[in-house]
Amino acid sequence: MNQRSKNFLKVAVISVLLSLLAGAVVILILGKNPLSAYYNLLQGCGLAPKAKYGGSQSQLTDLSSYIDYWTPMIFAALSCAFAMKAGLFNIGISGQMLTAGFIATITVGYAENLPGPVAKILVVLIGAAAGMGVGALIGFLKYKFNINEVVSSIMLNYIAKYIISFFIQMYFIDPVSRQSRNITDAARLTFHQVDVGGYKYDLPIGFILALIATFVVKFVMDKTVYGYDIKAVGLNRTAAKYAGIRVGRGIVSSMAISGLLAGIAGVTYYLGYFSSIQPKVLISTGFDAIAVCLLGNSEPVGILVASFLIEIISKGSAYMSSQAGLESEIASVVTGLILLASACNAYFLGRMQRRQDRKHPALLSAAVATSADSGGSAQVKNSPEAGKGKKV
Amino acid sequence: MLNAINSVIIDGMSFTLPLFIMAIGGIYSERSGITNLALEGLQGMGAFVGALVAYILGQQLGGDSRVPFYMAMLFAMLGGCVYSMLHAFLCIRLKANQVISGVVVNILAMALTSFLTKAINRTAFGAPSDKFDLGVSDRFTVPGISKIPILGAFFTKVYPFEVIIIIAAVIAWYFLYRTRFGLRLRACGDNPAAVDAAGGDVAKTRFIAVMVSGALSGLAGMCFAYSISAKFSSDIYMGYGYLAIAGYIFGNWEILPSLFACLIFGFARSAGSEIVLAAGLPTAYSDLIMILPYALTLVLLIFFSKHNAAPHALGEIYDKAKR
Repeated sequence: MNQRSKNFLKVAVISVLLSLLAGAVVILILGKNPLSAYYNLLQGCGLAPKAKYGGSQSQLTDLSSYIDYWTPMIFAALSCAFAMKAGLFNIGISGQMLTAGFIATITVGYAENLPGPVAKILVVLIGAAAGMGVGALIGFLKYKFNINEVVSSIMLNYIAKYIISFFIQMYFIDPVSRQSRNITDAARLTFHQVDVGGYKYDLPIGFILALIATFVVKFVMDKTVYGYDIKAVGLNRTAAKYAGIRVGRGIVSSMAISGLLAGIAGVTYYLGYFSSIQPKVLISTGFDAIAVCLLGNSEPVGILVASFLIEIISKGSAYMSSQAGLESEIASVVTGLILLASACNAYFLGRMQRRQDRKHPALLSAAVATSADSGGSAQVKNSPEAGKGKKV
Repeated sequence: MLNAINSVIIDGMSFTLPLFIMAIGGIYSERSGITNLALEGLQGMGAFVGALVAYILGQQLGGDSRVPFYMAMLFAMLGGCVYSMLHAFLCIRLKANQVISGVVVNILAMALTSFLTKAINRTAFGAPSDKFDLGVSDRFTVPGISKIPILGAFFTKVYPFEVIIIIAAVIAWYFLYRTRFGLRLRACGDNPAAVDAAGGDVAKTRFIAVMVSGALSGLAGMCFAYSISAKFSSDIYMGYGYLAIAGYIFGNWEILPSLFACLIFGFARSAGSEIVLAAGLPTAYSDLIMILPYALTLVLLIFFSKHNAAPHALGEIYDKAKR
């Protein structure tokens, strides 16, 4: 691990701790005990034992359900990271998840007589293709018509949300639950409520896929020519163009792959953790994925750790709300604060770098080289003295 | 038929004008060089503060008073303005990525306002609820002119906030295009180094520009709360902030062309819902109508984005050392 990654880790840990502290202050103001509230979060995810469990439930039941919940987030955050590496910002992950989930639901989810393995493979493939289509469209609009990808993906988010809500309400509604009808068990990517030794577990296939995807993305990013091209496009589009890299292809393909990952996230969510789609709702996973991605420094392994953490806050909030009598929204506030702290990490990294430069002038030449590629966030200083008095 | 056209105009204007004032806020920020995707969060935070003030005042003063309405407008602007300083601080002082900062500010606004709404309702008002009910604002009709066919509809059933918005828009236009401050602000977005060399303070000008965008967005959010939603709840985050962004991109970062873009969105929306109503279609079809402004935005952007000229220094962190 080099100095920059170490610094990043330090900043990330501090920003998480500060956000938790700020959340604790809010909980104190509301007159509750923050420590027990945070302990409730762990209990809700099966990472700490609850006081008592219902019939055929155990701590492992909660843990398996947590892993089921965690899986879509890994894909969603990888999706965000892939776009981020190419200098693009995919804020349409939720919309891509919904589109993929809906198309897979109506094609495979409602098909009778499909054998389980075939149905499950089809669900993943169709979800991936649907997400990829939406992602490629956003990339194409960016490259061909110069439309900011943030604006176009948000527009597509809303369009997907309302069109899909229209179709669900017209054709696929379950009159009791007011959601889309449940999919067949064969198509569901999670073995739901499997009985093992008297206890029931949710066993997600998607989780294994997510671990594989994490290492595939890492390999593509770090070890292939394509990954190098993408990163070059992300760092400096003009320089990449003059180096002979096809920028347009990079933009469209990275957005397509980002959409593909979001699509798989969608099927693991709507056809795995859940088995139906609620109309008119765009889930927050796609937005929380941005927090996870920033916190994990857009690195696949970092994302694995960061998503584990963020999902504890998100999943455990329901149990915390029931136990401590706190609004479950406090969880999204803490996530928002982590996001806020992560957004300024470039600044703190720059400061840290400069302080280290002052301490170890010998390392300076290396530091200048690393800070020069960090995109203007860290200042290049000629001598250790120059950095001292000057404020920008 | 005439009735239908009238109600398209009436509903269209009451949606267009808040969108327009928010777009003006965005223009201020972006012409000064700060990308502002935070409009959505700013309008929500503004509406939250305004609605809270109106709710408290409404309980004190009773239902008939007009004071809560105007105080809500004022405090919504204040709330949006103060909250926008977070975006300004991140972008200008901490040199954060402006796109990320904008999105973060939005997400935090959604989380904070829905948490605070619930927490305040439970602890302060003793009633678990996730909204502040405001009711729809009163409307007025100008006597005389409103009798003119079609044109008269612009003066029929007008929300008081529409007048406030028009006044604010005229002032904003004057300041941006006719004053020394406005010139400096626009220069900050195109050539900040020149402003610096001429003795201007780039950081300060940009900070003020972002605060103006916060105040105007807050006003817009409050208007939505008093018309479309009739309450404050997380429903306020309907993506209108992004629609306003599309509006000024389509309007090429100029105030008057942006008004036309907003008019198109507003009338597309009201005409759509009028058609669903007139054809007697089931309510699920209203979901399809909701798509119209968003789909129209995408299509229009396809045609106009290529020829657009964004401010030259938009999104760039101004660094004196690089001059």
